[in-house]
Amino acid sequence: MKHLSDEELMSIVQAGDFSPASELYDRYSGRIYNFAYRFLRNSESAEDATQEVFMKMIKHANQFHGDARFSTWLLAITGNLCRDYLRKAENKMKKEGEDVLITLPAPAERSPHRNLERQEDKKMNEKIIQEALMLLPPDQREVVLLSRFQGLTYAEIAQVAGCSEAAVKAKAFRAMDLMKKAFAGDSRGGDQCLNVV
Amino acid sequence: MSECGVMSENMPMLLTESLDPAQRELTHQHIESCAACASEWSAMKETWQILETLPTVEVPARVKQRFLAEISAASAVPANVVPFRRRSAARWLAEAAAVVIVGGSAFYAGHRTTPRIDLTPADARVTAIQPYSIAESRVLPAASISPTIEGRPDIENVQFSDASPSNQQIGVSFDITSHVTVTGKPTDKSMVRLLRYVMENEDKMSPSRSRAIDWVRATYSRVDNPDPEITEALANVLRNDEHQGVRIKAADTLQSMQSAMTDGTRDALVEALKNDPNPAVRVKAVEALAKLARSGAVLDPDMVDTLRKKAAQGDENVYVRVKAAEALSSIQPR
Repeated sequence: MKHLSDEELMSIVQAGDFSPASELYDRYSGRIYNFAYRFLRNSESAEDATQEVFMKMIKHANQFHGDARFSTWLLAITGNLCRDYLRKAENKMKKEGEDVLITLPAPAERSPHRNLERQEDKKMNEKIIQEALMLLPPDQREVVLLSRFQGLTYAEIAQVAGCSEAAVKAKAFRAMDLMKKAFAGDSRGGDQCLNVV
Repeated sequence: MSECGVMSENMPMLLTESLDPAQRELTHQHIESCAACASEWSAMKETWQILETLPTVEVPARVKQRFLAEISAASAVPANVVPFRRRSAARWLAEAAAVVIVGGSAFYAGHRTTPRIDLTPADARVTAIQPYSIAESRVLPAASISPTIEGRPDIENVQFSDASPSNQQIGVSFDITSHVTVTGKPTDKSMVRLLRYVMENEDKMSPSRSRAIDWVRATYSRVDNPDPEITEALANVLRNDEHQGVRIKAADTLQSMQSAMTDGTRDALVEALKNDPNPAVRVKAVEALAKLARSGAVLDPDMVDTLRKKAAQGDENVYVRVKAAEALSSIQPR
């Protein structure tokens, strides 16, 4: 199976033979899981989303026509699922007052600058970046994740997110501007790396 | 919108190299001539680079197991009914014969081999193991190859050599992709050398050296007296790797393996602190040196001099300066 392209494997799945599922999973599960994990910041939901994405890949194989890259098609399914997860979590919170899926950091922890001064933990970088990502609205976070970590073009992100390319560009700008400020503790002219790392 | 506003909106596309050439040129020209936009661009670029340091997380194995189990369950309830075909009597007979042969052979083999294992001296079995060399190419005599081909390995680029008149030897050469699992202790030299190769050979490694370094850090930070070859490999990555995210991880991992640091690895940290263009790498390097100083290690004069210069360097990142000063204050008098 390893020598077959994604499209060739999908044509086997479309014919009703699920044997390429494992190979397709091996090729893309890392990207899908990482995207979902960074989007939702919840490993349990990311696991569920990953499994669900690949089940949808099997169930809706006939909807893949090869006009977009296979990875883009899978990421589009992932994006839809993650947005659904966030919507449901938000609704649940509104109705029942329960914790949302994503627990935002407490205000005192929001300043990466302060955290840096307090801690030298090597995990801090990841925490700070993830926190900065979580400060973004979901649609902007999705654009950053797809652009920076999945290497999608803005046109491909537009396909995944179901909006225009111009809208993606605007979201990318707003997201980068917000992240830049978050990293810099919103103090322009300061030493950026001090606040970023 | 002002010209600066338009240029700022172009910056994310500059980062992803998705601006058309004319716009790209125009934006770069503006950035070069406008101090405010140059500062904005520098901050945005740095933010973009920092994002790269976010590590990749491993997918838990249970996700695949659950997915495959769910597929099996789905396959068990087919959407289309497959028409039943009676199997021929000959096929029934062949299958029954196969069951008898396999079952009988297994019973016979089990009863024959069990006492032999017990009686064979351990040393004799150890000497029978031939060292397996992980090599780019090799020539093997047919007598050393098992006649059984396991699984269905992918074989490509097959070439045939005709029989030589002198010894009637023929040859078949090919590229084979096979999955090899090497097991051993983290301290085994073969394991250390394999990991060194994986970390140092960026063009030969797939899918990710960054993941390899993460794993090395998790594994070897728990090992007492890890082999210095591991830290030397990390030092080479820190010196030579073109991706700053990988260099950051290498420096960070060195920090967690202080006990295995050699002069060479310390030099690599000093070089990174002095010359690495990425401030995040310099931060990691100075953190590692500061930790080294705190642990009571004796720092050589070049190292101390570099720390002094960094602590006093006005245009250096403030965090690097603070850490350099902290390292200096921790140095034990000789």
